Amino acid sequence: MKLTTKQLTLCAVLTAMALALSYLENFFPLSLAIPIPGIKLGLANIVTVFALYALGPGQALLILIGRCLLGAVFAGNMNALIFSLLGGVTAMLVMIVLSRGKWLSVYGVSIGGAAAHNCGQVAAAVLTLGNTAPCYYLPILLGVSLFTGALTGLVAACLFRALAHTGLMRG
Amino acid sequence: MKSSPKLRPCLWDGLVVLLVVVLAAACALAVWSRGTGAGDLTAVVTVDGTEAERILLKNFPDGERTYSGNGYTLHVCLADSQGAKGPGLYVADADCPTQDCVHTGTISRAGQSIVCLPARIIIRLEGGTVDKDAPDMVIG
Repeated sequence: MKLTTKQLTLCAVLTAMALALSYLENFFPLSLAIPIPGIKLGLANIVTVFALYALGPGQALLILIGRCLLGAVFAGNMNALIFSLLGGVTAMLVMIVLSRGKWLSVYGVSIGGAAAHNCGQVAAAVLTLGNTAPCYYLPILLGVSLFTGALTGLVAACLFRALAHTGLMRG
Repeated sequence: MKSSPKLRPCLWDGLVVLLVVVLAAACALAVWSRGTGAGDLTAVVTVDGTEAERILLKNFPDGERTYSGNGYTLHVCLADSQGAKGPGLYVADADCPTQDCVHTGTISRAGQSIVCLPARIIIRLEGGTVDKDAPDMVIG
């Protein structure tokens, strides 16, 4: 993949934003309301949805992998890497497929991605623990993904509306 | 911009929501209705993928137990059997960074589990269901 300086800079800025959002969501611990391991708002997915439409699947995937790797390094927890990678890549693949059709809005794509992210994370938990017990949480996680996915979609839609007048993404 | 997304929810989004709801319902049916065996309520503790202990809740030693895995320790206690939920287990304290196991609270029904990902410990309840084939009463 060949990137121009502008594209590379944009990818770096979006990766940094995704990392910042991942850190920010620690201040809104959803697990206090719904005590399930790994449950969170998925704010970093806003960047993924935005990058998917604005830059295309290739660069969106680069940003995602960069965010997962750097997030694990900064947190000093390489065990968490398999969770974020498997969840993130599953969500990305589903969102690529859903966004291809053009008939879904950013909300539908985002909800599909959030649900896929939870499926990927439960799969990572099953692989890590060597036990199918984490599947017990999947129905609840899928239910919650309807709300977190809609929230991510709403923020992404606001972002696209705001940027439509700036011409920032042109070229 | 590579492609312009639709920014307002449309009917097709409802199909995605429906699919997720159907998937959640199918998972709930498959996972939550899974038989966990008859007999007394038993705690099955798995550490790092291998079953470490299997204890009947009524025999839970001194009402508390400690489990360690991956460098973290969980302090598990027996919940008050006089409570509305009946006997159960909860993690009173743990030194894991996420504390999800502590926030899970009390589990009291067969099939429920407390999962601590950092410690790689799973505490799952089994049994506790009425054996349909068992006799109602033994006389004589």
